[in-house]
Amino acid sequence: MAGRVIVVTSGKGGVGKTTTVANIGTGLALRHKKVVMIDADIGLRNLDVVMGLENRIIYDLVDVAEKTCRSVHKALIKDKRLSNLFLLPAAQTRNKDAISPEQMVAIVDELKEEFDYILVDCPAGIERGFDNAVAAATEAIVVTTPEVSAVRDADRIIGLLQDKEIYDPVLILNRLRPDMVRKGDMMDVDDINDILAIKLLGIVPDDEEIIISTNKGEPAVLNNHSKAGEAFRNIVRRMEGEEVPFMSVNGEPGLFGRFLKLLNGK
Amino acid sequence: MFVPATQPVHVEQLVFKGLKQGLTLFVPEKESFVYWLEVLDRQLDQAKGFFQGGAILVELGERQLTPGELAGLKKILAKYRIRIKGFNPVQRKKLNPRPEKQLPASSGVLLIKGTVRNGQRLEHEGDIVVKGDLNPGGELVATGDIIVLGALRGIAHAGAGGNVKAEIIAFTLAPVQLRIAHIFSRAPEGRKGQHGPEIAYIKGEKIVVERL
Repeated sequence: MAGRVIVVTSGKGGVGKTTTVANIGTGLALRHKKVVMIDADIGLRNLDVVMGLENRIIYDLVDVAEKTCRSVHKALIKDKRLSNLFLLPAAQTRNKDAISPEQMVAIVDELKEEFDYILVDCPAGIERGFDNAVAAATEAIVVTTPEVSAVRDADRIIGLLQDKEIYDPVLILNRLRPDMVRKGDMMDVDDINDILAIKLLGIVPDDEEIIISTNKGEPAVLNNHSKAGEAFRNIVRRMEGEEVPFMSVNGEPGLFGRFLKLLNGK
Repeated sequence: MFVPATQPVHVEQLVFKGLKQGLTLFVPEKESFVYWLEVLDRQLDQAKGFFQGGAILVELGERQLTPGELAGLKKILAKYRIRIKGFNPVQRKKLNPRPEKQLPASSGVLLIKGTVRNGQRLEHEGDIVVKGDLNPGGELVATGDIIVLGALRGIAHAGAGGNVKAEIIAFTLAPVQLRIAHIFSRAPEGRKGQHGPEIAYIKGEKIVVERL
């Protein structure tokens, strides 16, 4: 059975695409799926750093496309924690024109037979890099933050995905601050849904742990105490077809929280 | 040396017909629109020069286009310098059997399925109806009326070309800008458009908005 090819994209930079890929990839691998993450951000690669795998890179995406290395497997880097998680890094000294959408399709086709999930980390922007990243994908996750500018760019991206025949992208709302939403200072889920009107895959709260984990090269999804990590674990479960209720945004404890309180006698 | 015999390949072709209203491209309802776009591109490429610089009508039948599909069609036609001057001449004739001399043949209704998103711009000679929203950053330009069966949050220009009788109607009217004929107007700051369906038209030299 061929694996799912999912591109993670946003239009705007700095909203958390790479963090999302690292966490979802790791989360899926924790559930014993065979996963490969492709960093399509040639020239500005980050995924290797976020995964803590920078020092293991020998061959990269461009080497595979140009057939400098014998096979795509030569370029795959095995994660240091999970043996069923792999990274295909981007080249750092080249630019987006170094590969073509056709080459990307060929590379992904080769990986598809072997992996359950192929996650493509898309660069910011809507030019060649976007075309490359989207070329082989059949599904898309659009990442946005609760800011008007990010939501506008997400809207633009959803339109462009339609042109590439990806009609049902899903949304991850990243870096939501429940306290600000409660005060009415931040767009809430409904405001964003009003504009974008696509299926919500998950809400990730703003969490300092993410910055720490990014710097350490250890995805937050591995950390049981991280709020964002929990959100990513839920996202992974939804991707696998489970029904998982959304974390309550208004700061009230959810059903499970109330149950815990009851147990603790508080 | 072995030379393969040329196989008689059956290639589907799109039909161009000369109707009373003008040369019309017929897009069948079967198969995906993207499929027909590929066929069209190939066909025009082979007939290079034949259509150069012309304007055609497009007959879609019951098919409704998404903004992306329409943009794709326009892009391919633009490559061969062909302009669309109207849609569905056949259907119009069926709906409206009386010959109307004063209306140009190009005035048909363009029905758009789904939301017109940021960065998408649709132009049409005639009226535009959107079954969805017009998002901020999206643009609709029609020589006739514009009707949005959802929220109008982008830029709508009705009566482009000078029709001051043109109207803009939306279920939720919260535009960045409204333009009718030669008159532009900006919505008051903070307008959310939560009054239900509204209509915008020219009164005097101004665009006014009223509840429908």
